[in-house]
Amino acid sequence: MATTHSTNSQNNRLASGGLLIDRSQTLNFFFANKHFQGFAGDSIASALAASGQWLISRSFKYHRPRGVLTMAGQDANSLVQLPSDPNVLADKTALVQGMNVDGQNYSGSLEKDLGRHIEKVGGFMPVGFYYKAFYKPKGAWEKWAPLIRKKAGLGVLDENFKPGYYDKAYRFYDLVVVGAGPAGMTAAIQAAEQGAKVLLVDENPVLGGSLSYDRIDAQGSNAQALRLAMIADIEAHENIEVKLDALCNGYFADNWLPIIQGARMYKVRAKELIMAVGSLEQQAVFHNNDLPGVMMSSAIARLIRLYGVRPGKRAVVVTGNDHGYAVALEMLDAGIEVAAIAELRDAPIQSDIVQELASRGVAIYNNHAVYAAKASSDKKHLAGVELRKQIGRGKCADSGEFIDCDLLCMAIGYTPTYQLVCQAGGQLSYDDETALFTLQKLPKALQIAGSVNGNWSTDAVCGDGYRSAVLACNRLAQDNDHISAIAEPAPLADDSAASPNYSWPIFPHPKGKEFVDFDEDLQIADIVNATRDGYEHIQLVKRYSTCGMGPSQGRHSALATARIVAEATGRSVAQTGVTTARPPFAPERLGHLAGRSFYPERFTSMHQRHLDAGAQMMQAGAWYRPAYYGTTNQRDACINAEVDNVRNNVGLVDVSTLGGIEIRGPDAAELMNRIYTFGFLKQPIGRARYALMTNEAGVVIDDGVSCRFHDQLFYVTATTGGVDRVYQSMLKWNAQWCLDVDIANVTSAWCAVNIAGPKAREVLQKVCSDVDLSSEAFPYMGVREGHVGGVEARLIRVGFVGELGFEIHVPQHCGEALWDALIEAGVEQGIKPFGIEAQRVLRLEKGHIIIGQDTDAMSTPQEVQMGWAVSTKKPFFVGQRVIKELNSLGQLRALVGFVVDDLNAPIPLESHLIIEDDQMTGRITSCNYSPTLGKPVGMAYVQLHKAEAGSEIAIRSTGGVMVNAKVVALPFYDPQTQRQAL
Amino acid sequence: MSEFVNTTPQSSLRRSMLCRVQETLGAQFAEHQGAIVVRHFNSQLDEERAQLKSLAIIDLSTLPRSGFKGREAPQWLTDKGVNIPETPNQAVKQDDGSIVARLSMQEHLILSDLAISASLPAKLEQSWSMQSDVACYSLPRNDSHAWLYLTGSEVRAMLSKVCGIDLRDNEFANLSIAQTSIARINGILIRDDLVINGSDESSSAIPAFHLLCDSSSVAFVWESMCDAMNEFDGKPVGFAALLNEQ
Amino acid sequence: MKQINCPLNGLRNISEFIYGGEYHPMPDPQKCDTREWVEHVFFHDNIAGEVCEWWCHSATSYWFMARRNTITDEIIETFPASKIFNKRVEFIADAGES
Repeated sequence: MATTHSTNSQNNRLASGGLLIDRSQTLNFFFANKHFQGFAGDSIASALAASGQWLISRSFKYHRPRGVLTMAGQDANSLVQLPSDPNVLADKTALVQGMNVDGQNYSGSLEKDLGRHIEKVGGFMPVGFYYKAFYKPKGAWEKWAPLIRKKAGLGVLDENFKPGYYDKAYRFYDLVVVGAGPAGMTAAIQAAEQGAKVLLVDENPVLGGSLSYDRIDAQGSNAQALRLAMIADIEAHENIEVKLDALCNGYFADNWLPIIQGARMYKVRAKELIMAVGSLEQQAVFHNNDLPGVMMSSAIARLIRLYGVRPGKRAVVVTGNDHGYAVALEMLDAGIEVAAIAELRDAPIQSDIVQELASRGVAIYNNHAVYAAKASSDKKHLAGVELRKQIGRGKCADSGEFIDCDLLCMAIGYTPTYQLVCQAGGQLSYDDETALFTLQKLPKALQIAGSVNGNWSTDAVCGDGYRSAVLACNRLAQDNDHISAIAEPAPLADDSAASPNYSWPIFPHPKGKEFVDFDEDLQIADIVNATRDGYEHIQLVKRYSTCGMGPSQGRHSALATARIVAEATGRSVAQTGVTTARPPFAPERLGHLAGRSFYPERFTSMHQRHLDAGAQMMQAGAWYRPAYYGTTNQRDACINAEVDNVRNNVGLVDVSTLGGIEIRGPDAAELMNRIYTFGFLKQPIGRARYALMTNEAGVVIDDGVSCRFHDQLFYVTATTGGVDRVYQSMLKWNAQWCLDVDIANVTSAWCAVNIAGPKAREVLQKVCSDVDLSSEAFPYMGVREGHVGGVEARLIRVGFVGELGFEIHVPQHCGEALWDALIEAGVEQGIKPFGIEAQRVLRLEKGHIIIGQDTDAMSTPQEVQMGWAVSTKKPFFVGQRVIKELNSLGQLRALVGFVVDDLNAPIPLESHLIIEDDQMTGRITSCNYSPTLGKPVGMAYVQLHKAEAGSEIAIRSTGGVMVNAKVVALPFYDPQTQRQAL
Repeated sequence: MSEFVNTTPQSSLRRSMLCRVQETLGAQFAEHQGAIVVRHFNSQLDEERAQLKSLAIIDLSTLPRSGFKGREAPQWLTDKGVNIPETPNQAVKQDDGSIVARLSMQEHLILSDLAISASLPAKLEQSWSMQSDVACYSLPRNDSHAWLYLTGSEVRAMLSKVCGIDLRDNEFANLSIAQTSIARINGILIRDDLVINGSDESSSAIPAFHLLCDSSSVAFVWESMCDAMNEFDGKPVGFAALLNEQ
Repeated sequence: MKQINCPLNGLRNISEFIYGGEYHPMPDPQKCDTREWVEHVFFHDNIAGEVCEWWCHSATSYWFMARRNTITDEIIETFPASKIFNKRVEFIADAGES
């Protein structure tokens, strides 16, 4: 690629400091085609900042220049494009040697985005613009949508992207602590002391949370000392497992947490859970508050402490809390000039930190706000701010003082990181006194600790972590011997006086551009206008204005939005609330969700033999079955040849996927009699019976063959897809009936073939010497036990395909030997395997239905011409009562056979409609060309007046062509049923 | 220790449904007490023994097993001198090395000892008859399920990728049973730690689990296990190394 | 993911279970009138509150029952079906049938 060489010499890098960076390892990378350098441990954004590249992206709607805001991934300002990865958070993503980073959402170049002029027409794009502008005339949206879609959106997908290897793993802990700040670390250490197995999770690369960048004392050394002491305790404790760079991205029922680390998603189950997830700093809302150079106080602290980067040269601080003063000290210590502090309150609360700052001679403007920020001449950075005295809530004096600066530090307050807690059922409310959101109504086995629980001083935060750990462990100790209980600590003293939240840091400006939600370029007026357009509920405000719908999901805008909506609608902030937080907390990759995709596959023991014979395999549920044998371009010829061979010689089909259920015990016949529609009490031993199953609604749901091998033993087959349901339904019924019977699903224990055709007996008797196969000794629908090819076997004389046929069931692991024995024995007779497709044609010719294909969710036995399979002489079977009622009401439709005599007509397909007088009156369920009859045959549901043989029906076939067909009696083939009785 | 006689899977009517994939992995098949097993994948026995200790998968599908279920099954088994567990989802190792796993109040699974010298599954099957009036019914466990054995220090970490059960040492004691979903296939997991006899007459147990799954799904399960084992350099191992440890 | 305490297998992820519908005592098919039977088959109470349901642990095909609050989704209790069904159910043929 073409690159512009530039020095970009990390001239903003401080001489020392930077917890995360390794200054011995320089990394080279590119941003917007320019060469940059950073250090190992840098994020993309910190490395850019180190070289003075503050402009990172262009905003979504107005293409305004945007830069670092939170340094914590809580805003869309830092979204950048990697070659195969759009919408990457530059402030969270580690810098990698050779990385090729680009900006997003601009035309031309990031520095001179042609789209920036859209801002000039911003006045014509009010909230709800799309809804209003393109609603009329009809068709307008269709015309505009492609243009708007091209303009909208952020990153670009790499269409040559190759998916990586992702997986999942389950983990179990006594206690999971989310967030490794001072509260979380204290909790983990205490719980481990009490014997609990603890997982401590944090999304950052190091332990410590705010201790790794906060200043908690005037000298600025206590935080680091405390952090190191705690880390030493954690590392020394074998009960604590630490996962860093690991994001807990949601909360699901019963403490089930998806924790994403690297290419793996851990599915973690916690007996107890402590959310020490901290809080999110919020911005002040004033004119041009989105200029690069305007940052959260915590972003400035992070840049200095974590990355050793100087965030600016001359700073102004706007603050309503102590943190503004602490960061001001940080800046002074880093050599940054602090020109002024705009103190929103009447005066700061005196503390060591405030006194230290005052002693350094920084001007403090009490009761002052930043009314507006001014951009540099190239519009790409902050050049100064206008301070004005506050004269009321959100109101400033008519004039103020302008101060040059390239950095504005905003310290006006926080919201608890409520997202995970609310997903767990926690409820957010608002305390007007402290101007803080608070969390309540936590589910059992979940606690919150630290600033998310409204604690601010380090002592209170750690005390809260300690207390929550003791409560969790004391509960665990009741059921877990390895955990000990200790005396419960007293409740913490109220820390709310230390609230860092200023109640109203929102200052409307006649020219607007006071951004509430940076992601979506939403200003105060947009939120207010949404309520005026009638969308007063916070959920409606969100959907109408898109506020909180951007990539940061309201993390930096929720508080200001709630306050503005509350005021505009005359409600309290607590009544207004926030929108529902749903998982995931942060964007996650589809790869993490997919993991290893387990799509179960089932193979019969003859699978290799099908492959050897050139089968085209098809999937039926999880099963692999041979569709037909031969090449795909010869498909129809292969199927027809297989059909011919069964009709004229002998064929072999693998029917192992058929379900098999064994019912044994004194009540075996009674159970069969209740589950299936036919009578089974008097079924002779050694005989098979057709078994039709209906559900309680009288609908046909499965069928099979019931074989009685013993007075107390029935072996009943079920459809491939239905057997698991049939088995479970039998168990459920017998859980209620309490019959003395055992029910076993033996589907996988047996494999089976059907050897069918006029020469089937001839072949079979070569490999089966202990069963008399003659028609007299072993008639149609007889069952026998014996050996085939040396393998113990159950033989059933069936007629599914309409020829002399034997189903041979043998133990699964002997299937291949059985197959080989039969193929070898049948060489002389021309035995050939046949597949599922040929079997479908054969059974259709014979008029046999397939449950689920020729039946639907309404099919009664009567409708599918199975009335003969329903006993009227027994006191009960499942579905009996409804079938009786339906039969008394009269039948509405019938499944009939039809033939198409016009060989040039397009062959009707399943679900094609039968049309009569322009009305749909029926549909096709099966239709195939019959090689035996030489024309298409099929089955269809028709109205009763068309059910008589000889009726003419009209089918709307492929391409809308009407095809005439004639209803005929079933079966199409061998109506006297002589073939299968041979 | 019994003799192995090299042969091919096709020499028997009973074949493991994994024999094709095992062939492609270089398996040497052998007959062992009437069962065709993979003798080894790697002819260096020491390497296969070391593999057992780190992470290995062994196919025991051709070894005998049986099952007995029914209202009177516990009594019938007890009458036959079988030591059955008191509660469901527990297994008991018999003196002869066979394992009796109680899957519910009424259902028991009997696994052969590895040397196939005790033949408990077959003996019980032979003494059972449909003709008797006892409410105890034989189950075709030789064929309904495939039988895999997973061994090694990394076996729990590996299984945690395919199975959502807490298998940690203190939560899932030796001879515990979990009937659950493994790689989305229903299976029976039985912890049976492998005791390794050291050269100095000391012995140590390494974690190991029997996995019984639907026999038609075993190729899929094998593939899923091998995928999950890759990260830990887990490999299939032959029967000879396992028997050598007994 | 929610967990269910299976009376046979202990605490397991709900993905291991199949929902089997509301428990509803079956009227006598011989004696009840058509409306009563049709309501039994086709109508569901769908109560907002505590219900009794069938659940099946799919790996063991073990059916059991649960009392669950449909408002809070709390599973209050699980128990074997034998707690409700403990004697053999008979169906006696009508006089006119054999």
